[in-house]
Amino acid sequence: MPEPTAEELARRNRLQILPETVSDQTSTDFPGHWPGENHEWNLEHFRKNFKVQFHSDGTAFLLEKQNHAIPKHRRIDQVFSLIGLDASIANAFRRILIAEVPTLAIEDVFIYQNTSIIQDEVFAHRLGLIPLCADRLSLHNMGWYIKPTEGESNGNELTDENCVILHLQVKCEWKEGGLEKAAKGETNPNELYVNHSVYARDLVWQKHGRQLEWPEDDPVRAVYPDILIAKMRPGQEVIMKLHAYKGIGQDHAKFSPVATASYRLLPTIDILKPIVGADAKKFADCFPPGVIGLDEVTSEDAQKHDELQGKEGELKAVVANPFNDTVSREALRHAEFKDKVKLGRVRDHFIFRVESTGQWDSDELFLQSVQLLKTKAQRIKRGLDLMMK
Amino acid sequence: MSNYAGAADTTAGAANPNMNASEIDSHQRAVSYTCGDCDQDVQLRRGEPIRCRNCGHRVLYKKRTNRMVQFEAR
Repeated sequence: MPEPTAEELARRNRLQILPETVSDQTSTDFPGHWPGENHEWNLEHFRKNFKVQFHSDGTAFLLEKQNHAIPKHRRIDQVFSLIGLDASIANAFRRILIAEVPTLAIEDVFIYQNTSIIQDEVFAHRLGLIPLCADRLSLHNMGWYIKPTEGESNGNELTDENCVILHLQVKCEWKEGGLEKAAKGETNPNELYVNHSVYARDLVWQKHGRQLEWPEDDPVRAVYPDILIAKMRPGQEVIMKLHAYKGIGQDHAKFSPVATASYRLLPTIDILKPIVGADAKKFADCFPPGVIGLDEVTSEDAQKHDELQGKEGELKAVVANPFNDTVSREALRHAEFKDKVKLGRVRDHFIFRVESTGQWDSDELFLQSVQLLKTKAQRIKRGLDLMMK
Repeated sequence: MSNYAGAADTTAGAANPNMNASEIDSHQRAVSYTCGDCDQDVQLRRGEPIRCRNCGHRVLYKKRTNRMVQFEAR
């Protein structure tokens, strides 16, 4: 059986990015495409070729930028590469991450008093969208609460295992001497009123049943305490009880654990003919900083390429870090780089970015998505077995 | 407005002509309203003129009940 060479395999693995089109998008490593070659899926082959790489992530930036209630060592914005798998699998992971990994979110709102100007239903909706976090093992062990459909008793009971109860009670009042200040023309609400803003940090968890055994240092709370829920003025008050349940993103986006999970293919830049001098600088400017480096032309280069003769010591463009390229195709717009550069992407190199809302770490989420896909596959297998019986 | 208050008074009397004292008392629980002008709390009993005690304004607003309403956070 003819084995394709490494170069041939690398060529097959590239998408081509042309000025106005993208070609060779579909993979060809399936049986029957290349005459005489065996491309059957093989576990050993997959094991040998599959690679995972972790890249520098944006967690520190994310956590630094806003006030948060989670420990600094949590990694909630990870970037990693999965190399050597098919797009269908990578996409399955992405879709499962967005829509099927369960999280805890507020679902039922019992409003006892709401004299703020935010309408009850809008208020409830805003509460639902607040990302919550808690001890992750306890959350993992939580059960599902199935709401009974109208007129039927097909739901299950509310227990300490499937329901987290939160309370929100805030009343806005005048500060001492606030009225006088207002009369004098003061308009800063911080000077005039107490509790004029309802924040996510005002949510109070009411432990019940087995939840009393959940770790003390990791209560159910909002991931970002500074989320503004409503604004109030003296005399206005909100009193409500909230039920948070476990759910999945398929049901409502508030249950989605990521914001968002995506992947891109590793870009490639091939410089076919040397680009030197002022052109090299211009070429580097066509890409994000750091993608193209500038090296001196050596005598070896001059010997290899005729057009470089006598140009030793000048600067030439070299590809330094294609990972950071945004594939803007700017280089393809300029006549001087015509036929000198080829842009592409590696078809089986998926650079994932999983930005968690804070309830779970990015890597935990990804592993959960793998587990879920496995469960689905097993379910199909069982179904097929049943059909064959 | 004073007519209205008077009318309320007469209908109350007409509806329960044989009411004893304790029943009248239980019906006379004060309800608190908010004055439309000075924003003060106004406690009103049945039959009282609808008028703010503080500023004399005749528009009073009923407060929201404390009854629970359930919403889905969707």
